[in-house]
Amino acid sequence: MYSQARIIWSIMRGHRMRYGMALACLVVATVINFGGPLVGSAAIDHAVASPPAGAATPRLVAIALRALGGASNLRARLWLAPVAMVVLSVAGGLFSYLKGWQASLASDGIARRLKEQLYDHLNHLPAGYHDAADTGDLVQRCTSDVETARQFLATQVMEIGNAGILACAAFPLLLALDAPMALVSFALILPIVAYGYFYFRKVQHVFKGVDEAEGALTAVIQENLAGIRVVRAFARQDFERAKFAGPNAAYRDRSVRMLRLMSWYWSISDLVALSQLGLVLLVGANRVAQGRLSVGVLFAFLAYLGIMLWPVRQMGRILTDLGKTSVALNRIREILAVAREDDPPSGDTAPPARLTGAIEVRNLKFHHAGMPAGSSGALDGISFSVAPGETLAILGPSGSGKSTLIHLLLRLYDPSGGAIELDGRGLSTLPRKWVRSQIGVVMQEPFLFSKSLRDNLRLGRGDAPDHEIENAARAAGIHETILGFDQGYDTLVGERGITLSGGQRQRMAIARAVLKHPPLLVLDDAMSAIDGETEVLILDALKERRGRATTLVIAHRLSTLARADRVIVLDRGRIIQSGTHAELAGRPGLYRRLWEIQTRIETDLGRDLAG
Amino acid sequence: MAAEPQLQDEFKARLDAGLWGRVFRRALRLKSLLIPLFVTAVMVAVCDAGFALTTRWVIDGVVARGAGAPFASYIAVYCGLTLTLCSCIWVFIDLAGKISNRMAHDIRRDCFDRLQDLEFAFFDTRPVGWLITRLTSDCDRLSRVIAWGFLDITWGLSYVTMIAATLLIMNWRLGLIVVGIVPPLAAVSKYFQRKMLLSSREIRKFNSQITAGFNEAIQGVRTTKTLTREFENLGEFAQLSGRMFDASVLNARQNAVYYPLVMTLGSLAAGLALWRGGHLTSVGAMSIGTLVAFINFAGQFFYPINQLALRLTEMQGAQAAGERVMGLLATEPAIRDSEAVLERVRAFGRPAGPTPPAAGLAPDGLPDAIGAIEFRNVTFRYASGPPVLSGFNLCVGAGETIALVGASGGGKSTIISLVCRFYEPTGGQILFDGTDYRERPLGWLQSRLGIVLQTPHLFRGTVRENIRYGRLDATDAEIEAAARLVNADGFISRMDHGYESQVGEGGNRLSTGQRQLISFARALLANPRIFIMDEATSSIDTEAEQLIQSGLESIFRGRTSFVVAHRLSTIRRADRILVVGHGRIEESGTHEELLKRGGRYHSLYTSQFRREQEDAALAKRPE
Repeated sequence: MYSQARIIWSIMRGHRMRYGMALACLVVATVINFGGPLVGSAAIDHAVASPPAGAATPRLVAIALRALGGASNLRARLWLAPVAMVVLSVAGGLFSYLKGWQASLASDGIARRLKEQLYDHLNHLPAGYHDAADTGDLVQRCTSDVETARQFLATQVMEIGNAGILACAAFPLLLALDAPMALVSFALILPIVAYGYFYFRKVQHVFKGVDEAEGALTAVIQENLAGIRVVRAFARQDFERAKFAGPNAAYRDRSVRMLRLMSWYWSISDLVALSQLGLVLLVGANRVAQGRLSVGVLFAFLAYLGIMLWPVRQMGRILTDLGKTSVALNRIREILAVAREDDPPSGDTAPPARLTGAIEVRNLKFHHAGMPAGSSGALDGISFSVAPGETLAILGPSGSGKSTLIHLLLRLYDPSGGAIELDGRGLSTLPRKWVRSQIGVVMQEPFLFSKSLRDNLRLGRGDAPDHEIENAARAAGIHETILGFDQGYDTLVGERGITLSGGQRQRMAIARAVLKHPPLLVLDDAMSAIDGETEVLILDALKERRGRATTLVIAHRLSTLARADRVIVLDRGRIIQSGTHAELAGRPGLYRRLWEIQTRIETDLGRDLAG
Repeated sequence: MAAEPQLQDEFKARLDAGLWGRVFRRALRLKSLLIPLFVTAVMVAVCDAGFALTTRWVIDGVVARGAGAPFASYIAVYCGLTLTLCSCIWVFIDLAGKISNRMAHDIRRDCFDRLQDLEFAFFDTRPVGWLITRLTSDCDRLSRVIAWGFLDITWGLSYVTMIAATLLIMNWRLGLIVVGIVPPLAAVSKYFQRKMLLSSREIRKFNSQITAGFNEAIQGVRTTKTLTREFENLGEFAQLSGRMFDASVLNARQNAVYYPLVMTLGSLAAGLALWRGGHLTSVGAMSIGTLVAFINFAGQFFYPINQLALRLTEMQGAQAAGERVMGLLATEPAIRDSEAVLERVRAFGRPAGPTPPAAGLAPDGLPDAIGAIEFRNVTFRYASGPPVLSGFNLCVGAGETIALVGASGGGKSTIISLVCRFYEPTGGQILFDGTDYRERPLGWLQSRLGIVLQTPHLFRGTVRENIRYGRLDATDAEIEAAARLVNADGFISRMDHGYESQVGEGGNRLSTGQRQLISFARALLANPRIFIMDEATSSIDTEAEQLIQSGLESIFRGRTSFVVAHRLSTIRRADRILVVGHGRIEESGTHEELLKRGGRYHSLYTSQFRREQEDAALAKRPE
């Protein structure tokens, strides 16, 4: 438990003062709230009735009585007592409010900081980390684990503080009031806490069982609804009803069982709490009968128990949650412990404002961590260079390393050997963000954010005016499509908006890259879902616009390849052919086979028609 | 897309008595649990009040009689009360748990039942996630609100009544003064409970946006990096987390004001009791025990009233969920058997099961065979959209294979859905052997279909179970024979557990091609009269495609088949190819006839041919 407490302590950094304030307010509120019963006690014993001769007036009651102007004054002005009680209640309430406010500022502040830290960290983790990570798990850590921690910090930390204050402040106060009664009042407090702690530890698997049953039920419903067309296609409604009945009943039965356990918990916990109250009442009454205790002080003890019992009953459960919280915090810290993408040490000469676009690739090697050198997507020593303004097309079967080359150029990964130079500077000496700012890239499956179409395009360049956005959209052949939507450029994309087709997303990404107006443009199979005619239009528009931008284009279609200045053919991480369209069409190989398809169509058609 | 419902809209100003009446009538089905719950709740209230009276009795006893007070009776009464109260608490938690979970179970079952029969048009406008929420959290919430609400409202009202009655009986003048605290207490509770419910909803709303934000950040991380948007994204996210922070702090502050406020009201009542009661006691008009009881009771009002306010607010908050669930239960399927058809099925005396006897008759007594299918002047539109088909005519002979080609959105899939009666024509008729298919049983027709969809959907379970879905009484040998016919046998037997291998959720442990092969086997096992393929080969790799192609022959044989396809090998196999565009048939004929014509089919064919060849060239490694 010590190490758990240390983790929680470290996570509170920067908000410890607020917690301190909250705890201070809580102490003040507790002390003030203890005044109410004292006033009642003083009034009952000294203004309403008279204390038994055998019992000395406790000092605390005497102080309260003095504050109210003495017994005779109080007797004459009994209204002073309710006024004092209300005033104390208001004052106590004020501090209790301040406590709640400060505690919330602290706990929600920590949760907010954690979320922002995680968000920023995730954005800066290397691409390799994201390749291996499971999105659902990451999201869960960033949301529900943070929420578990927040709840703990918001309510439970304060409850634990409250318990500490009761033990450190309330118990001495009660002892001062009447020592034997104080001991009786605390007799069953520890058993109540222990009972809660052990009970909840023991029944945790039942809670988990309910969660699992609910998960199983949701899965069955989800599967049925997702496959409702298959259900209908085979008229399997009754079969599905029968399949659903089991998990539905299992969830019900497990929940009922959990409630049964809760009914045991609460009835026994109430039994212990009421026994504690009964003990105080009857022992107190006995002492009153013997003349050793006044009715007023007994009244005060009964009132104090009323204040204390409730938080104490929650304690056991809170201690059980401590384990859950530290697990959640550890899961969060695992993410934060992963190193971010590093950058070259500062002190390097500042990079130029804009690249001219010369690329030099020398003996570049790469393979994914943990994969053998010849595996899919690996590069096995490739070299080529691209002059500023040149268009280089890259062709090759899937897994030949085309996309890897692009990822290395973007410094999403670092090569395991060889080097890339941009304008004669080694890529590894240039800051990653600067490199990426110089490259406009369109991937085969582009990602759009759930913003409006306009805002998605503007991601390319934040300060672009509307007419430039529209021009870029025109060049990418998406302008007319956008105008066709009900809300035009303001149409939302994603869950709360429309779903774009693959081709539309590719055209959006092209427009986004065009708007960025980079010195280096990279199209990674970026038009695979766009029909041939549109593709040609886009290519021509790009050529017109991009001026002297160097372009790398991964493509399969001849229409694209033939427009490049030069083509390289990759296979198994090596360049096996390179040259202009005319050169490659004349040599045997992949390129020529593609080139020959056109003629094959004619012969095939002829054969079909003849046969 | 439905706009996000406004928080305030969800929160109807008044409780809808009609809705809750309907929900409560459902709860009344569990009368045998509900009545004991009512009795226990009242008993708990009586015990609660009993404790304060016992305190009074004990104090008065010891003050008056000192050591001669009957301590044994005190202990007995106190223990009796405690045990009764704890037993009642045990019983009511157990009962409320049973009621709430049984109700949730029954409502969920009825909703699920209804969903199985609702037409596709219903699902078109409602995302799966939306429906799941209705069946899971909405059902749970509604039942919880009803069960615990019933309990707490019964208890709360009884308790308030008990306290008030006791106070008034003990001393009606003083009682009236203390009971006067109830209306302001109720008003404050209601006001704050409502505020807190609204702000906690606000928190939930921001929370789901934050979850979406994380999701997007992770999925789009490469895009963020390549656009160097890290800083801007964080800025946007920080705004969101800031709003969540503000909402959370607001909620916490409402909480922090509410409790001290009601506690102060309690002190005020207790103070009034002490003041007025103190005077009475000091002149001997009231016992000191009564005074203590008055002060105690005055502070007790808060608990039942807080609980009442909380439950009523929850009911208000759950009203939208209630409307959605009860609305779903009240939705009648738009496509179902007419009374005349049901009457005929009854008259024929056989249940409309999926496998009628081999006498060659369907459950309605008409022939089981399906021969000619005719679209006669069919018009169709989805919901309020423009017509997809208008004045569409088509005759298909028994055993014919029809390929439908053409641009997407041209109406190909609609034609297929109409054949399956997943939708019905909005105008005109579809005739099976001259009879309008709306005059035949729906269950019979759909059990005569074999359908393979574009995205194959498998259910969690083994390969064998998934194939058996086509015909539940098929033997293992028949299942394996079907798998062999569609060439699925090879990869299945290579799997670790063969036919007993688990396919995972939605079949995700298999490749799309493998899933599609299994769905072909499933359709074949059903031995359908009509076979339907909707883009079934467009999403799979070449290898699986070739396996399917060689199995198609055995599937098409002896069946009327409708095929929507891109792949040329599939199209060429058809007896007749229909080029469908703009809701009508643009060209029709065999592959050769259409090529010769040099029209739409010719251009579709050449572009598809080029694409397939290019893909094939790249799939093979260059020598």
